[in-house]
Amino acid sequence: MADKEKKKKESIFDLSKYIDKHIRVKFQGGREASGVLKGFDPLLNLVLDGTTEYMRDPDDQYKLTEDTRQLGLVVCRGTSVVLICPQDGMEAIPNPFIQQQDG
Amino acid sequence: MIMAAVASTNPSQLLPLELVDKCIGSRIHIVMKNDKEIVGTLLGFDDFVNMVLEDVTEFEITPEGRRITKLDQILLNGNNITMLIPGGEGPEV
Repeated sequence: MADKEKKKKESIFDLSKYIDKHIRVKFQGGREASGVLKGFDPLLNLVLDGTTEYMRDPDDQYKLTEDTRQLGLVVCRGTSVVLICPQDGMEAIPNPFIQQQDG
Repeated sequence: MIMAAVASTNPSQLLPLELVDKCIGSRIHIVMKNDKEIVGTLLGFDDFVNMVLEDVTEFEITPEGRRITKLDQILLNGNNITMLIPGGEGPEV
């Protein structure tokens, strides 16, 4: 393949449209954070401003309201990022997978 | 250093590793993937964001914020780093 010679690292997703927007980031290990995206690089390292971190308690699982803390300006390691989405781009819904159990 | 051909990364925004570089010489608070956090003075870092820190305090978050204070210099393996907070003082305990 000729293009293996000049293989350039192209992002499949352009984060510049999220600059100065409020985004939510999930990490390996269960941490979640949200903040205003101030910068990024192709390795998906991020700069977030006014960051709020949510931690998942083993008892609460999805209760995020407890244990939030303000972190201010942070750098998020791209190697640890698993998901990025707009802050208002998601909502909690009732479990759609629950099936009726017969007897 | 991997240089990308993506032209859309404009120079007017803040690059993450530049922000870390500015923090050299100051206190920094590192949050790991697990419940461990490290606060220290940043002496330097490499392409993989392994970090050399000085005057380090190590925090365990789950067991009531236990604290282990280490002095001198450490090399922190960048494999497990999730967040870096320049000027951070660490968790409040």
